[in-house]
Amino acid sequence: MAKIPYTYVPFPIAACEAHPEGTTAYRPIAVATITASNGESLRWVVLPDSGADACLFPLTLAIMLKLDVLHLPKAMTGGVGSQSNTTYYDTVSIDMGNGIVFDAYAGFTQGMDSVGMGLLGQQGFFEAHNVEFRHSEKIYTIEKILPV
Amino acid sequence: MATAVVDFTGLLKGIPSGAWVAISERQHKVMAYGADAQAVLSESQEKGEGRPLIVRVPDQEAAMFL
Repeated sequence: MAKIPYTYVPFPIAACEAHPEGTTAYRPIAVATITASNGESLRWVVLPDSGADACLFPLTLAIMLKLDVLHLPKAMTGGVGSQSNTTYYDTVSIDMGNGIVFDAYAGFTQGMDSVGMGLLGQQGFFEAHNVEFRHSEKIYTIEKILPV
Repeated sequence: MATAVVDFTGLLKGIPSGAWVAISERQHKVMAYGADAQAVLSESQEKGEGRPLIVRVPDQEAAMFL
């Protein structure tokens, strides 16, 4: 399977006490089509995050996908900046283009609304793909792992 | 050739922090923005962009630790 290249995207960081001149964060984001179990789909920004146990999206996306969140299975999840969030789960299809398509049992939580983008975590994404980050070139590649 | 995404820096300039934004799939231009993501999607669809990319302007242009 081919390694599909994606580019990092620069995000300017405003000047502050810690960074008086401001700085630029390069983030390995991509655009994906997220399709929920009910067939509804939307295009969303995603970020590979090997530190995330599973794929995680803003709760707003679940509502826009017309998922009945109160009837979805739920669990408490934690992360940087939050003690605990109720997270609702649905099996979604994530299509990043160029043949990178996979299913993931993904979480939706209000704690991600302030971030806005979705995280591609270990379950569903990293377990099924080899991901190579070449930060110096501002490129990363995704290679689907073929089932044995 | 790497798959490039939208240049958000220029597109989102001037849009308030925390706003949800609908971006045209083909033309890479802002179709609608506001505090309510569903309303932003609806406005974009009314303008003829049925499958916009939905993004959120960060609350602050700050470093992010996930």
